[in-house]
Amino acid sequence: MEDPILEVKHLKKSFFDSKKNREIQVLKDISFGMNQGDVLSIIGPSGSGKSTLLRCIAQLETLDAGEVRVCGKNLIVPGSNPIRYASKEDLTKIRLSTGLVFQNFNLFPHLTVLQNVTLAPIRVLKQDRYHARIRAMRLLKRMGLESKARAYPCELSGGQQQRVSIARALAMNPKVLFFDEPTSALDPELTGEILKVIKSLAEEEMTMVIVTHEMAFARDVANQVIFMDGGVIVEHGTPDYVFGKSNNDRLCSFLSRFAQSND
Amino acid sequence: MISDLENLLPILAEGFGTTLAIFGLTLLFSIPLGLLVAVLKMSRYRIIRYPVSFYISVMRGTPLLLQIVAIYFGSYYLSQSTGAGFSFDRFPAVIVAFSVNYAAYFAEIFRGGIESIPKGQYEAATMLGLTKSQTFFRIILPQVLKRVVPASANEVITLVKDTSLAQVIAVTELFALAKKQQAAYASIFPLFVAGIFYYVANLILSVFFSYLERKLNYYR
Repeated sequence: MEDPILEVKHLKKSFFDSKKNREIQVLKDISFGMNQGDVLSIIGPSGSGKSTLLRCIAQLETLDAGEVRVCGKNLIVPGSNPIRYASKEDLTKIRLSTGLVFQNFNLFPHLTVLQNVTLAPIRVLKQDRYHARIRAMRLLKRMGLESKARAYPCELSGGQQQRVSIARALAMNPKVLFFDEPTSALDPELTGEILKVIKSLAEEEMTMVIVTHEMAFARDVANQVIFMDGGVIVEHGTPDYVFGKSNNDRLCSFLSRFAQSND
Repeated sequence: MISDLENLLPILAEGFGTTLAIFGLTLLFSIPLGLLVAVLKMSRYRIIRYPVSFYISVMRGTPLLLQIVAIYFGSYYLSQSTGAGFSFDRFPAVIVAFSVNYAAYFAEIFRGGIESIPKGQYEAATMLGLTKSQTFFRIILPQVLKRVVPASANEVITLVKDTSLAQVIAVTELFALAKKQQAAYASIFPLFVAGIFYYVANLILSVFFSYLERKLNYYR
């Protein structure tokens, strides 16, 4: 049995709601695992904690309890209570093995497309400029954007910007790639091009976690699907199971709402 | 009139040299200091944030004229009463007063600029493994620069005119010398010429700043 690339056990996370003046638990005991080449779609209503889960694993939010292992490295010191994060060195290693594609791209507006893609390989991975550029151009070509290498992000469409941000994440050779609603900020006619890119990555066995509202896509691209609601995993299984066989009430009503809104 | 001008020009030009020195040195010190103060004012720690806020509010809340006098005579009286000798000469006192005063204004401009950068920029940089200082100097600061140019241009142009306050502790800059000539000639003409010096200097600066703004307009 191969080692899982990503393992999450009993993850809990609360926010302090200053309006209601109390703690709100947004993630209650989340556990799942992924092997190399797995593609996991996370679906669920807004506010169910999908993005927060992704951000906790990506170290953009701190978690309150639980264990996270990425490529065999612990994010949290095992058995520590209250939890303690691993050494800075380990955290950096974990961070470099993960990549995140944001909902609103977050490209660096003052840098060209090429500079956006090469900045971190040169500054963080210490690749030499020449090779970083060659690799970046290869990635941009794959995204169909080689002619835009010298353009600035503001000159690109939303779909093109998102493809640049995927290239930027891939340039760091991540072991796991997270997508946080990658098409939610795009016009409907532009979502197709992003989904196509993600699909081609899946075919190359890129390990990916995709938070999305595109149900057809979630079903199509993933080999496992998690349905979250109210901070818990309600259903977890193959696409066929989650989108067909499951009889869970909450899941069924969620999916039927989607079916209606897409008519 | 023409011969007046021939006599006046070298004198005023010399004063203008002093004016430019105050201007240049103030910018040289106040911009980096302002950036530092801006960063400190955004500190997580109250023990840093509060004194910095107090410093900014005093600098902005009292006349620069008063601050110049206070720094020059204050340091003089202090060295007198303690007996141990350090006090500012006139010119350094002016530079110190202008620098700490303008740093406070620049700090608020820079802070506004830094806080206007979306959180997503920091998050993207973090995810790519950039260190905090790489993020600040390569991602945040270049974008801040573009956003603070218009407001900074205002300050810089005001500074050209504020240099005339240095005469309060008898630093012989452009305005002090023009006023002396006004008395000597019993005419307002020297002041008029001095005014032209200030005006032309600011004209050049505003042309420079609009060029800079255009230059930074390559992205949105």
